[in-house]
Amino acid sequence: MDYSALYPVLIMVAFAVVLPAVHLAAKSSRAVAGVSVVGIVASMGLVIYYMMNGYPPAMGGENTTLLQFDVFAALFALVFLSVALYVVLTSARYVEKDRHQAEYFSLIMLATSGMMLVAMATDLITLYVGLEVTSISSFALVAFRKKDKRGAEASVKYLVIGGMSSALSLYGISLLFGIAGTTNLAGLNTALAAMSTGLDPAAFLAIALLIAGFGFKIAIVPFHSWAPDVYEGAPTPISGLLAAGSKKMGLVLMFKVFLVGLIAFKADWQVVAAIIAILTMTIGNVVALQQTNMKRMLAYSSIAQAGYMFIAIAVASSFAVEGSIFHIITHAFMKGGAFMIVAALTYVALGENISDYKGLGRRAPLIALSMAIFLFALAGIPPLSGFWSKVILFSSAIDASQVAGQGWMVWLAIAGILNSALSLYYYVRVIKYMFVDEGTTKEKLKIPLSMCLAIGICIVATIVIGVWPDPVINVCEQAARTLFPAI
Amino acid sequence: MFENIPILSLLLIFPFIGALATFGLGKNPKVAKYLALVFSGITLVLATLLLTNFSLSAPLGSSFQFEEKYQWVPILGISYHLGVDGISILMVFLSALLVFLAILFSWDVEDRTRSYMGLMLLLDLGVLGVFTSLDYFLFYIFWEVVLIPMYFLIAIWGGPNRAYASIKFFIYTHVASLVMLLGIFALYFTASPLLGHPSFDMIDIASVAGSFGHYIQVIIYAALFFGFIVKMPMVPFHTWLPDAHVQAPTAGSVLLAGLLLKMGSYGIIRICVFTFPNITLEGQVLIAAIGVVSIIYGAFACLAQTDLKKMVAYSSISHMGIVLLGIATMTDLGMAAAVFQMFAHGLITAVLFMTCGMFQHKAGTREIPMLGGLAPKIPVLSSVMMIGFMASLGLPGLVGFMAEFSVLTATYFEWGLWVLIPIASVALTAAYYLWAMQRSIFGNLTTKIDTEHIHDAYWFETVPLAVLIGLIALFGIYPRLIMDVIVPSIPRILTGLAGVI
Repeated sequence: MDYSALYPVLIMVAFAVVLPAVHLAAKSSRAVAGVSVVGIVASMGLVIYYMMNGYPPAMGGENTTLLQFDVFAALFALVFLSVALYVVLTSARYVEKDRHQAEYFSLIMLATSGMMLVAMATDLITLYVGLEVTSISSFALVAFRKKDKRGAEASVKYLVIGGMSSALSLYGISLLFGIAGTTNLAGLNTALAAMSTGLDPAAFLAIALLIAGFGFKIAIVPFHSWAPDVYEGAPTPISGLLAAGSKKMGLVLMFKVFLVGLIAFKADWQVVAAIIAILTMTIGNVVALQQTNMKRMLAYSSIAQAGYMFIAIAVASSFAVEGSIFHIITHAFMKGGAFMIVAALTYVALGENISDYKGLGRRAPLIALSMAIFLFALAGIPPLSGFWSKVILFSSAIDASQVAGQGWMVWLAIAGILNSALSLYYYVRVIKYMFVDEGTTKEKLKIPLSMCLAIGICIVATIVIGVWPDPVINVCEQAARTLFPAI
Repeated sequence: MFENIPILSLLLIFPFIGALATFGLGKNPKVAKYLALVFSGITLVLATLLLTNFSLSAPLGSSFQFEEKYQWVPILGISYHLGVDGISILMVFLSALLVFLAILFSWDVEDRTRSYMGLMLLLDLGVLGVFTSLDYFLFYIFWEVVLIPMYFLIAIWGGPNRAYASIKFFIYTHVASLVMLLGIFALYFTASPLLGHPSFDMIDIASVAGSFGHYIQVIIYAALFFGFIVKMPMVPFHTWLPDAHVQAPTAGSVLLAGLLLKMGSYGIIRICVFTFPNITLEGQVLIAAIGVVSIIYGAFACLAQTDLKKMVAYSSISHMGIVLLGIATMTDLGMAAAVFQMFAHGLITAVLFMTCGMFQHKAGTREIPMLGGLAPKIPVLSSVMMIGFMASLGLPGLVGFMAEFSVLTATYFEWGLWVLIPIASVALTAAYYLWAMQRSIFGNLTTKIDTEHIHDAYWFETVPLAVLIGLIALFGIYPRLIMDVIVPSIPRILTGLAGVI
């Protein structure tokens, strides 16, 4: 069989295995991070090579596919690899005084390879394997500083909830298999659509279990309460990995299972998804308003952003998925960048409370400016990247509402826009603290180069996509099309 | 002269480069100030050249001049489309002029000079972009770009209650913009099937907007109109304005009243009226009513103020009401007069806010009861204040008179004697200005503040004021200079009506 579809993942796994040996030889977190960067860049290079020169053939059995490296998989692979890249760059210095550095970087590589696997999967089993690879690696990553009380609490919480969500989704998957007799996503849809008697009650249970199981991963309301605690307790670069990587993997799961496997029954879950989307964005934003800890605020803002992305599930059109994928990309950089800044500032001994950011504009002007750009992008202020992706996402809801019987979808756009306005308040508050208020000290902060590089990657992406969104929108459109082959 | 030069793009690029240069190189406050002055000066020169090269002989209702159009996001039909007509070119000139003068007027800003100057130039970029873009998307982007520098100008260099005022300003106008954005989307999705291709182009969309369903037209119109009247601002959506003005630094107030409010009325003319002339005609009584209520309410509110600056802020609401009244007439004269009033108000209000700022600076207070009899102590400042007040209350021979008179004439033609209601407000306007003047600069010298060391205007304050007053007098005596630019463009705005009348 031709294994070339798996090569980008295999590169990541191979480096994950080699890293402990590197650490044994070099004994420095920077060396390990450097080697990890090589692995990530190599994998990225291969993905880009595939995008340029045609995709490898699908992998699987005789009449079923398990993995398909198409434009959808390639795009998400690039997103996950970029996230891994800036997380590794930031971590190079962040963990320099910790023990078990080799394991830390190995686990990041493994978590990323799991996410890439999910993006490629065309079968419930491969999907689940990818999900578990990422989950188990990230449990360990959250627990990395095991002596830290908050970290230990967060990791236990994450483990219990993550384990439960895996169990729920596995149960849902097994029910689907029982009903349809196949685990292949496309086959699942055909099999279910062929049932003339309508949807089996067990299928409803399966859908509910899958929404709950994947919902925990994405942290949508009402399955969100773990996220702020875990993001707060985890090492900050890992919070970034969770928010920008593993959460997005949850959305990919949703896209694959609901928009490919269960699309025939969209009428049965669209309204539920719409309610979840609106609740998620509203609760995320309202609770974010009152946060005093930077990481918790960003966590709630991530919940709200997941609500925006969830619009795509409710609308279930190619255009909406295009917007959602685009928002996933922009969010990976703007939210990831914000987390990397928090990590960098923690590294130079600035607190995590929002009030600690007072006067930052004078202490670290460029970092404060970058933070302001990320926050404005998150709020959707043009011409930054977040504005464009929100525009496409919300306008897809308006577009879909013109179809007969879907008029209610316009409320998704209205809710999204009202929420964007609401979110502006807590983003601007941070900006006000940084630039308007005076801090207790004016001492300059010096951020290490590798962290600046990580932040720089995010800034460049946020601004360039904002000014020149066309190519990215193009690829997102192609990726969205792969989920809707009929159109 | 500009056949092959993208002058409108240059107009946007220079403030942007200037902002970057000021942020980057302006470590020394002096350098920052000169850099900002030079770049805003170049912009002003370009805007003046643009105005002098603007062809007046083009046939009535001709299309835009100095047009530039490039595809930006072809999938969504977004283009980088710039162009000016007689309406926008005046606003472009006003923007370049006021930013230049405001930068000069801020010569004594000591705190974080480079950020201050950089933000002024960014604001320049945003405002010029709003007035030149002919693509909804581009328009919206510039519209939002304006918010950020203004937020910082108020939040960092503002008065004691600046945190509250700046966030209120930001959220209030941002929500209004989002409603407008919804309207733009609705326009886009309704127009694209009719056009056969996706397009955010204002001219393309306007060409098919007349064939939308009536109900859809009204809904879209309402969303856009709401976005604009909050910015203008019209009663009852005006409450952000007094807070923002009172807390903003002087130059910030000048630009806020002189330019940002104009964005609202410009949007109504360029987008609401141009795209949906028939809906405007149907709703003209309602629009006129909003205008008149704002005129009267603003004037009464002025009478009640003790803070000079707050009074001037409310007077802006009143005077922008006159603009809306002019638009509501939906006649060539009324529309042209509305644009003229926008221009006139931009010049006059700049003088007024500069005067208020100087009172704050020299006398240490703007509270009218604390002042009194200051004319002999500060003759230059007092004269300027007098001229500004006179211009604002509509003294014949100054620019405000011509504008208001034309609007009221157009109102008379449209609605007959109902014009007496807005005319009554002219008396109120005279009352609050004269009363304020009498209490603050005439009468007995105040003993409530230290008048010994009060200093008259500095050179960097006198020069901008002199320029503004010169223009106020020039265009007041010879209004044709302005009217000739505006009038040929009006029929184009009202083309959609032709089929009906």
